[in-house]
Amino acid sequence: MLDSRTIELTETPPLAAAPLRGESKKGLGIAAMAQLLTLPGQIVSVLVLVVPLLVALYMSFTDWSPTRGSLFNAQFVGFENYSELLIWDTRFLYAVIRTVLISAACLSLEFFFGLGLAVLFLREFRGKSILFSAFLTPMMILPVVVGYTFWMLFQSNGPINQIIELLVGPRGAPEWFRSAPFAIVAVVLTEVWHWTPLFFLILLSGLNSVPENPVRAAVILGASPRQVFWRVVLPMLKPVIIVAFVIRSMEIIKLFDEVFMLTRGGPGSATETISLYIYKLAFNDFQLAYGAAAAFIVLLGSLLLIHLLLKPVRNQLLEVSR
Amino acid sequence: MMHTKKLSFPLALLMAAALVLVLFPVFWIVMTAIKPPTDWNASPAIWAPSHPTLINFRTLFDPDAIREYGVGGVSQSATKSVFGSIFASVMATALSVLVGLFSAIGISRYGNGSRATPLIILSGRMFPPAAIAVPFVIIFSNVGLTDSYTGLIAIYVAVTLPFSTWMLKSFVDDVPREIEEAAMIDGRSRLMAHLTVTIPLIRGGLFATTMFIFILNWSEFMFALVLSYSNVSTIPVQLAKYVTATAGTLYGVQAALAVLAIVPLVIVGYAIQSHLARGMTFGAIKQ
Amino acid sequence: MKKPKLELVSLKKEYDNATVAAVDGIDLSIEAGETVALLGPSGCGKSTTLNMIVGLEEPTSGDIQIDGQSIIGVPLGKRNVGLVFQDYAVFTTMTVRQNLAFGLEIRHAARPEIVRAVAEVAGLLDMSDRLDVRAKDLGGSELQRVAIGRTLVTKPAILLLDEPLSNLEAAARLAMRRELRRLQSEIGLTIIYVTHDQVEALSLADRIAVMRAGKILQVEKTSVISERPDHIFVASFLGSPPMNLLKGHIEAKDDAMVFRQGSFSLPLGGTSSGDAVFAKGPFTLGIRPESLRFAPKETAPLTGQVLLVEPRGPEVVLTVKIGAVQLKVVAPPVGYPVEGATAGLAVDLDALVFFDGRTNRRVDVCQAGRPN
Repeated sequence: MLDSRTIELTETPPLAAAPLRGESKKGLGIAAMAQLLTLPGQIVSVLVLVVPLLVALYMSFTDWSPTRGSLFNAQFVGFENYSELLIWDTRFLYAVIRTVLISAACLSLEFFFGLGLAVLFLREFRGKSILFSAFLTPMMILPVVVGYTFWMLFQSNGPINQIIELLVGPRGAPEWFRSAPFAIVAVVLTEVWHWTPLFFLILLSGLNSVPENPVRAAVILGASPRQVFWRVVLPMLKPVIIVAFVIRSMEIIKLFDEVFMLTRGGPGSATETISLYIYKLAFNDFQLAYGAAAAFIVLLGSLLLIHLLLKPVRNQLLEVSR
Repeated sequence: MMHTKKLSFPLALLMAAALVLVLFPVFWIVMTAIKPPTDWNASPAIWAPSHPTLINFRTLFDPDAIREYGVGGVSQSATKSVFGSIFASVMATALSVLVGLFSAIGISRYGNGSRATPLIILSGRMFPPAAIAVPFVIIFSNVGLTDSYTGLIAIYVAVTLPFSTWMLKSFVDDVPREIEEAAMIDGRSRLMAHLTVTIPLIRGGLFATTMFIFILNWSEFMFALVLSYSNVSTIPVQLAKYVTATAGTLYGVQAALAVLAIVPLVIVGYAIQSHLARGMTFGAIKQ
Repeated sequence: MKKPKLELVSLKKEYDNATVAAVDGIDLSIEAGETVALLGPSGCGKSTTLNMIVGLEEPTSGDIQIDGQSIIGVPLGKRNVGLVFQDYAVFTTMTVRQNLAFGLEIRHAARPEIVRAVAEVAGLLDMSDRLDVRAKDLGGSELQRVAIGRTLVTKPAILLLDEPLSNLEAAARLAMRRELRRLQSEIGLTIIYVTHDQVEALSLADRIAVMRAGKILQVEKTSVISERPDHIFVASFLGSPPMNLLKGHIEAKDDAMVFRQGSFSLPLGGTSSGDAVFAKGPFTLGIRPESLRFAPKETAPLTGQVLLVEPRGPEVVLTVKIGAVQLKVVAPPVGYPVEGATAGLAVDLDALVFFDGRTNRRVDVCQAGRPN
């Protein structure tokens, strides 16, 4: 039931702060228990996340590359990497802009199609559960396979072009991977195919938990189905929609696998996303320190963005979390 | 009220069109996987082979099998990568769920360690993997973990820990505290209460989380790409190799590997369908 | 002759998979400005009737008329009928003002008119200072006022309420009763509400329609219905405690009529003329607990032992055992006998009600020869 209690982003109150009357004296107390349980998670997080992050952070202030010996002897260059990236590196700037634009396009389309499908699924028809499963299929497929499949589909002699030529004539079909705008469209379409089911899933679950009586009340007051949807239902979906957008945007700015298989970032750098650029910096050009700096800029940027986007709704979300 | 209307004909048509769009790529890749080599480079591309064959699948494990069609052998067998994927995914999933389970109980029942804990764990998801890979490579090369499954599994555990923790936390939240308190009043220690009472009650959620993390690990590409040289290989890496190594013309074999990769996920995905929303949204939305 | 505001004619609702009809042919006529309660246990069909009036369900047969016009087939939302749900179903994403304005906004009414109407209704419901509060920050009775206000803005012909007081705490309940009474008198609204709580029915309605198993057993003015129930079921449903019901016979004894059940006998006064009519058939005697009063044991027609005393603030309920029979008596809070004491009871003979033992319907004893 989406009475907002299903959206929880922060803490829950602890189990009885004081020991219970009959609680066995053997075994561990509360504080010890809390420590014990969360310790493995914290160890893993620290070891395998925090430590590498700190190493990367340190590295981003040096000009180190593997050819220059040990990392710990690397030359400290202060904010040079960062200023280079932010001021001079147009390729980085373009990668960021490109990623943001592709993300915006994908998110809007995924939301639009996902909502449309979800609304359709509010009605009754036979085979509903089988069709539901079928529509979820794309998001269960590995991103590399999705990239690979659409790479095949968008080939010049592939089925997509065959259909286009049927409609537009023998020379009408584009060379998807040879021209920048078409390559970007191909990336967007691939991503939209891959992840629309997630919006569909989340929005359908949200729509199904909209309480019936307010909807009925609106109809009794004379509202048309359209008015009911826009004025009553959609506002109630707001928390769900926000969750969907936040989750998807966190993932889509890291877009890598599909683009790698589809275009490798090409033609040229036309479809180079941030992740691809960092990958190239680090593993093609071995500019690891520079790449690390780029990664931190991206991290800070996304944290800032999410903070700013969530601000207006933060109060709503926090006050209703358990 | 909204739920009683039936699907009108034009809308049914729309849904049918959507269905075609959704399933067509899957159809295509399956068809390609059963195309004999003669059909691979046809122009325009063939939609369904007239003589479907399973040779591509055989070639994955026996690289020279394809030669009987007069085509050069495949550079590499996929066997190692299949085992690699299975091994890494299973181990990483088990560890991630285990650690996540305890963290989930800890966070659900005892509050966060600090307000920052959720932020720390969630921000792990926001960092571009390519960037995390960089320090990993450096650290691992200093401790001899590059090109090893240990290193790969460690990364997989770290990266999926947010999902497993938060998804399991939402399942633990669903269990009323009174049940554990009753067990404690009965004389059990806190730990035993959690182990013997709470965990059995979230069996279904535990299964769903495990399957979900498995999907994430099985699908992972970038870290495997960066960390594998000769010892380590996973299916996604192998697929990329098939595509780049042969300039992309071994369509059939590539597609066969892709189909092989998809099958477990589709099965698992359907099995946990009712929990997918919970997994994807870190437990925020329950179906 | 003025047309009734609402008329239900042989209204019937049957579901495919059920053997009994949910609503089994009811007739009801409600005048403008009246408040009528549909009272009955769960499953009696009262909510189904409400749903059919508002249009959430369509009747299987029969007619519903508002102001003389049939509204069967008129779609939901176009019947000019307002409904307040049991859970109020206020629009939680909107403010009070937006909730109230909703009905007019969707009709694209002019802004000044909307502002005026909202202010008027808010004033009527004492919510003028809460207009900009978000609906989800409101308390129970405020939510109900918003729900009511929301329908009032559209000036419905009839206002329907589903269990209006059941979700409120005691204090809010009293307040709400006053509010609804005030609304009735100030705007002359025709109100129908559905409830399973007879206190709710008795406190708010002008008339009560008691329903059971899809039928209306009795429609009667509130002030009268407790004293003159038409049916044993009605008698047992109303009042707290409800009417004492005793199955027995009427016999002639010496020169008088006596009601007898086992060892319990109550002289009814009067001559034995017409006793032939009474000798036949079982009767059920109904005595309201309020009609019994304590009297000196020596002269009282009934004596028994007090089993239980339940003080209830302004009154006391005593259970008195007479033979095999237990009677509930409502007495003033002072001067009542203690538990275990033997006490005498007298009864106001005019207040007695008789039901035919077989049909369970009220029988007018006066007609059959008992002298006035």
